Amino acid sequence: MVHEFQYRAPRSLSELLALMAEHGTSAKVLAGGTDLLPNIRMGIAKPAFVVDCKRLPDADRLVFSPAEGLRMGHGVTISAVLRDRTIREKFPLLAEAAHELASHQVRNRATVAGNVVNASPCSDMALPLLCLDAVAVLTSTSGERTVSFREFFTGPKATVMKPGEFLAEIRVPASSADRKGRYAKLKRVKGHDLGIVGVMLASSPEGLRVAVSSAAPTPVLVSGIGRGLDAEAVDALVQKAIKPIDDVRCTAEYRRYMVGAYIRRLLPEVSR
Amino acid sequence: MTITLTVNGVSYTRDAPENKTLLHFLREDLGLTGTKEGCGMGECGACTVFLNGRTVNSCCVLAVEADGAAIETIEGEAGPAGLSEIQKAFDRNHAVQCGFCTPGMILSVKELLKAVPKPTVEEIKEAIEGNFCRCTGYEQIVEAVLDVTGQGPKGRLDHV
Repeated sequence: MVHEFQYRAPRSLSELLALMAEHGTSAKVLAGGTDLLPNIRMGIAKPAFVVDCKRLPDADRLVFSPAEGLRMGHGVTISAVLRDRTIREKFPLLAEAAHELASHQVRNRATVAGNVVNASPCSDMALPLLCLDAVAVLTSTSGERTVSFREFFTGPKATVMKPGEFLAEIRVPASSADRKGRYAKLKRVKGHDLGIVGVMLASSPEGLRVAVSSAAPTPVLVSGIGRGLDAEAVDALVQKAIKPIDDVRCTAEYRRYMVGAYIRRLLPEVSR
Repeated sequence: MTITLTVNGVSYTRDAPENKTLLHFLREDLGLTGTKEGCGMGECGACTVFLNGRTVNSCCVLAVEADGAAIETIEGEAGPAGLSEIQKAFDRNHAVQCGFCTPGMILSVKELLKAVPKPTVEEIKEAIEGNFCRCTGYEQIVEAVLDVTGQGPKGRLDHV
């Protein structure tokens, strides 16, 4: 790579946070590297410091308890989500989204935390995290806060995270366990290409939820949809919440059409 | 930064620039040119290697990240007795044409067979979804995997 940077691999969270505080926006956290390293190569990212978070203790911790729900360390890879039996049984929507993310080699390296911190409108993992009321635990030298994923994304590649903050953990409440749903993602070739549009339908205590990717500046969640509504009515509600654009992959009109098509396809499966 | 890693069971200690990818380190510093560079962006899988037992795109890993790691490349696939069973099946089934994707393809198949000894066609296709082949059309590769797992004929040649 042409761009030069300094590499640090801190062994403790406090060391990492001190580096982040010291270097601010000139530091980038390196997790799986499947987005950051191509971006550095293409000249899109030019960090002076690359801070590898994979040597922190418990980075890939993945535990579930009825009291605390699911706790995913920042280093949990997409493949680890797919391999985890508790996730497959209790949070199948996480596994379903993980299965659609990129290729096997990328899934072995990319992390759930990295996928949401990148905040691409086409993020796969954002959709189940929105449907399951997950929260991000953000830490910095000035303390810790938790932010719901409903408030986390602020625009394309933009989040509420401040310079110096680090997404240490993702928590999914135990009350979200066993939520049923389905995910459909439109793409040219599985394993390659970014999503053209993605739609996840999920049950929840207050009604149906629909989460949509690649159809607005951020991943979108529409919640509290009445159970009796038919696909046309659900689609009408979702159409009001999304704001797709024309781009190199397809037109806004086609995205709107496919969101409706997926709602019609998935709703009977979720309502069953 | 000085790094120490094992590649195909051999330990190496080298200085690596911080911005050098594992792919370029393997090719340029260790002379292991079996690992190929295709897209350089984590899309095509030509640079697939095992890192601590799992396949990764080595173009998306820094050499310094692999400090202390165990790497396996295509050079470690054939043993003293010759080609591995997967390599032989690729040979028998004409699953190689230009050969550029083959090192990565074989390692992806190896990763699949570690987890699923008798994969279905669908599982095979999914396991190699991160490996682009522009010659074979993939059919012979799928047949090679069916062959080596005892689920298909030995070296069917009806495509050629």
